[in-house]
Amino acid sequence: MITIKGNQIEVDEDGFIADPSVWNEDLVRYFADLEGVGELTEKHWKVINYLRDYYKQFGIAPMIRKLCKETGFSLKEIYELFPSGPAKGACKLAGLPKPTGCV
Amino acid sequence: MYVAKPAELEAIGLTYSSESAQTNRALKIMSELRTSMRSLMVMLETCVKCGNCAQQCHSYLGTEDYNNFPAARAELMRRIYKKHFTWSGRIFGSFVGAEEFDEETLGKWLTYFYQCNECRRCARFCPFGIDTAEITIMARHILSELGILPRFMQGIALNMQKTGNNMGIPQPATLDSAQFMEDEMREETGLDIKIPIDKPNSDILYIPSSADFFTNVDTMLGVAKMFHVLGVNWTIPSTVLEAANFGLLFNLQVMRTHNLRLKQAAKDLGAKLVVQGECGHGWRAAKMYTEGCNGAFPFELVHVLEYCAAHLDRLRFKRLPWRVTLHDPCNYSRAGGIVEQPRKIIRACVEELVEMTPNREDNFCCGGGSGILMDEMMDIRLKLGRKKVEQIQAVGDIDYLAIPCSICKAQIPAVMKHYGLEKFEMGGVMDLVGKAMVFDQ
Repeated sequence: MITIKGNQIEVDEDGFIADPSVWNEDLVRYFADLEGVGELTEKHWKVINYLRDYYKQFGIAPMIRKLCKETGFSLKEIYELFPSGPAKGACKLAGLPKPTGCV
Repeated sequence: MYVAKPAELEAIGLTYSSESAQTNRALKIMSELRTSMRSLMVMLETCVKCGNCAQQCHSYLGTEDYNNFPAARAELMRRIYKKHFTWSGRIFGSFVGAEEFDEETLGKWLTYFYQCNECRRCARFCPFGIDTAEITIMARHILSELGILPRFMQGIALNMQKTGNNMGIPQPATLDSAQFMEDEMREETGLDIKIPIDKPNSDILYIPSSADFFTNVDTMLGVAKMFHVLGVNWTIPSTVLEAANFGLLFNLQVMRTHNLRLKQAAKDLGAKLVVQGECGHGWRAAKMYTEGCNGAFPFELVHVLEYCAAHLDRLRFKRLPWRVTLHDPCNYSRAGGIVEQPRKIIRACVEELVEMTPNREDNFCCGGGSGILMDEMMDIRLKLGRKKVEQIQAVGDIDYLAIPCSICKAQIPAVMKHYGLEKFEMGGVMDLVGKAMVFDQ
């Protein structure tokens, strides 16, 4: 459990939110501090919004290469925006479940 | 390591045994194994503690923890076996190393059988051929039957149950990703190269790793380009978008179920040939266990590297000006007969293949084998991967490290990054095929 502005939110062992529907912008700011993202810019939001839209449509995170192509950022730039990477950093901020398997 | 909670266990059809019931349940399973797994019993009877395995085990070398010395790890099960299934253990007890299956033992099982990568290198150097991987596989199986398994494994089992793949990719996402990859190949080559999903009446069923639909795109592109040039009728079943079979790594019933998906998909889509993608343990599970756990299968089963190597004379390449080294995935070289095929392919695709030492059947594991990919175990993973890093460094400057297994592809870059050694590209062998391929327009 984490507490943001008095609201208790359930997270899993890796700190990803357990229920994607409780996602909100306060959570993004909270996770941004936690994941070493720092101040959120338009670029961050572009990635976060793309991930959220894709997840809404397909129920899973997009292929990393597709994420890069659709947002216009190289993988290196994604790592600069989200130091813990697209799967463990960007997905956490976007409220997606943690990508699992051989990743 | 995070352990699955009772409700999470139920979701994948396992139940948690109360502490009082655990010993009896474990002994019952061990007793059953005495008749169904004679090989395991021979291994539990045989060790003479010569110590030969210690210096051959990257887990022991990396962690310097006595219980990771293969003979000591096996001893964690052997002591229980002695206590309950041998006359000397029953009579002389701890004098002959016999021990009760208690809470302390259980804790050690969970810790140390999840620090063994099931790489089988100890078996390679043991004068009796004792295979600690077999012992680890059975110990993890017993643990999961008691309701004790990593949360990581539970999450994967749940995804497999829901979608037929480790990552939990639903069919519409698979179709979308295939479309995206086709577009990528069209941009690159100008050709209409397909990645057909669930196409009925296909001759070949290709089973990728689900990670090829997330991070390891170039592996999938290499395979699609090869099938395109060969002009074969192939498809990928969305119901088995997974060469991996994590059941082998924690519960044999889960392994059997996933293996049945493969048999069913081949039947449904009419395939006579199943080609398994770049996944080490999954290849071992499919090749070595399909018939044992689910009976005869009406299709031929080959690995993509076997298939590609056998068709090299029909493919054309422009050799990449690269110096490349190959990491032999343990389950290929010591458990699945894939040794020279990747070398043959790499030599066709690049200017120089340089061997790391030791290699082939003697190679060291990447340290992620048997699904030890949990983020929370990163400290241990780095220790398990240390020997591999030393091997790679000793090769000198390279342009590409070939790691044709999805677990290796997840583990090695993470370890290399930690040691600040990400100075070259890393990926599969089929990736090279895709990058070097020349098309007749």
